[in-house]
Amino acid sequence: MNRKTGLLAAVFGTAMLISMAGASAQDAKEIEIAAVMPLSGPWARLGEESKIGAELAVKQINENGGIKALGGAKLKLVVVDGGDSPDKFKNATQRLVSEHPDLAGGMGAYVSSFTLAVTEVTERAGIPWLTLSYSPKITDRGFKHVFATSPTAVKQADDGMPAIIDMAKQATGKAPTTVGIVMDNTPSPVGFTKNMHGDGLKKYGLDLVVDEQFTPPLSDCGPLMQKVRAARPDFLLLLLTATPDIKLCLEKLTEIGLPRTRLPIVNNGGVLGSPDLLKVMGKDLLEGSIFITANWGAKGQEDFIKKFEDETGEKWVTQDSISNYGHVMLLAAAMEMAKSADPEKVNEALHSMDISDGAATFFPGGHVKFAENGLREEAPLVIVQWQNGVPVTVWPKESAQAEPVWPQ
Amino acid sequence: MGPTVEHLLQTLSTGILVGCLYGLLCVGLAFIFGIMRVINFAQGDFMMLGMYIAVGVTLSFLGFLGASAPFVAALIAGIVMFLLGYLLHLLLISRTTGMRMSTELDSHQSQLILTLGVALFLQNGMLFLVGSAPLAQISSLSYSAWQIPLLYDDVSAVFINKARFLDALAAVLISVCLFALMRYTRMGKSLRAAAEDPEAALYMGIDVDKAHRIAFGLGAAIAGIAGGLIVLYYPAQPYVGLDFIIIMYAGVVLGGMGSVEGAFWGGMTIGLVQQLATLVIPLQLQNAAIFVVFVLILLVRPNGLFGRSVERA
Repeated sequence: MNRKTGLLAAVFGTAMLISMAGASAQDAKEIEIAAVMPLSGPWARLGEESKIGAELAVKQINENGGIKALGGAKLKLVVVDGGDSPDKFKNATQRLVSEHPDLAGGMGAYVSSFTLAVTEVTERAGIPWLTLSYSPKITDRGFKHVFATSPTAVKQADDGMPAIIDMAKQATGKAPTTVGIVMDNTPSPVGFTKNMHGDGLKKYGLDLVVDEQFTPPLSDCGPLMQKVRAARPDFLLLLLTATPDIKLCLEKLTEIGLPRTRLPIVNNGGVLGSPDLLKVMGKDLLEGSIFITANWGAKGQEDFIKKFEDETGEKWVTQDSISNYGHVMLLAAAMEMAKSADPEKVNEALHSMDISDGAATFFPGGHVKFAENGLREEAPLVIVQWQNGVPVTVWPKESAQAEPVWPQ
Repeated sequence: MGPTVEHLLQTLSTGILVGCLYGLLCVGLAFIFGIMRVINFAQGDFMMLGMYIAVGVTLSFLGFLGASAPFVAALIAGIVMFLLGYLLHLLLISRTTGMRMSTELDSHQSQLILTLGVALFLQNGMLFLVGSAPLAQISSLSYSAWQIPLLYDDVSAVFINKARFLDALAAVLISVCLFALMRYTRMGKSLRAAAEDPEAALYMGIDVDKAHRIAFGLGAAIAGIAGGLIVLYYPAQPYVGLDFIIIMYAGVVLGGMGSVEGAFWGGMTIGLVQQLATLVIPLQLQNAAIFVVFVLILLVRPNGLFGRSVERA
């Protein structure tokens, strides 16, 4: 019996050695990293932007000589469409992990619920995973291989509200006293407003005068906006995630005499900055709209932005393109640090990373250090406003491409 | 008192405007499902195609028409969709209808799978061709309104959105034309006859296959026109049909199977319930209210609002 076990162990050991030798031989020429994104279904456009950012980073790294610590090994991006539900994402990731056993790391999957599903698989496979998703649950599960580069939705609300009030105060000389919330009931707005309903906004000196939720998509937002018109808040938290709803609501507000020049609107996330919005409504309707987001093109990145626009043909850098560009850069930096493409070593390097140059410059604050749970420490948010047909960063001051505009 | 009356009137007017378009959508499905008893899962995607055709036609060569371009484009979308529907029936759907199938259940099962396949093909085909970015007619009509002041104070007013009003008007006109076509023309009579008793219609010298093809083409054309009208205020993307298909089926069943007028009123009821429900229940239950009312109406009138005329026929 003992001899048998010994023999088996020897056979397995030899097989493993052979496969490891094969893997390291492959390492020298090409290192695989993965991007699992929604490339079909309602979130396809945002997945597409993420993919464009990641692909550009891989291309530039390879053109500049690959991973130097690994003898100039080239990166190869494996892009996987996860579809439109957490279940499909889980299956797609399982397939990815079994078809590509040598992945050094990965990124995805935009929507928080998809990211939760994807990381259940990648954690078990021991693959370091970077994400821009906002849900606090992503880093609350005790996982060792998940890294979130965005501030959580709750932190965005906690930091974003004082910033918005400050912006209004600086522009008009007095702080706003009333606010309205109109939101869809998807996880991102729900997380953002978690502490705002009822008297939650009192601590900012704000009275909540309208508080409405709906299940997207809307068929019409007339009655909803009529309530806003009747209550007439100083500004409106219009927390929408679907493009049709954005079109309906912005058009309706303009129609009933509340354009952005009279009633400022604030959204959360990157959807209000999508270049595609210009295909469904004129830029005049978007002018002045404000959104709080985790990442955006900012002052000091002019060279990168120009290169990005020239090479990809995209109109501007969005949260999804720049964050995933940054994710690839972070993985590359971790491989350089670890001098290895072994996922465990890359993971250790990410955990011990504390950088303020290179890959870190593609994230607000310009500093990347991950806490024990994988959440980026001191990740600040960015406030962006549509000005002259382009969404530009207006807050914080050191990253601002333009001064914020707030109606008097 | 003030805001309540204002809300009620605003909601009522929105309900009627939305209801007219739902009505037109349901009339389209009534030709295919209500009259011919063909289960068509691709009806929402016919609407989606209509949306894209209308935007494409407007952007490529109707720019000179100005504000009326979207309406002409919707008609063109209707014509294209008629041809497409006619061909689709000729080549595919006809194999799952009529006397080729032994029972109605048999044919329904094949239609279900076939049209679901067509729907998936259209959705993913469009995703492949035009991508996932939403697209809409950009017109100032969609964010301008006629403001009707309410006389009891200075600020209250009801806003009638211009795009939605013109869309609703077009929807009513087209529906009335279709009612007349079904009731007073020879073609309408042969369509009804072919639908009610194909065998007897055949003995009377009616080309039943052709009648079915025309009905299917008409159904697709109406979905196309409705799509062309809706895209004036609602963006198109490859999966947009899913948001509307359930409303179409509910409307047709609510109006009574087999009745084109009934389908219109079924759609109108849904539009009104969907909007008026927001006055009394939270907004996120808006669509749940539709189905509560749907079940209630069918409890009282199992054959739908206009169901009796079917029995008589």
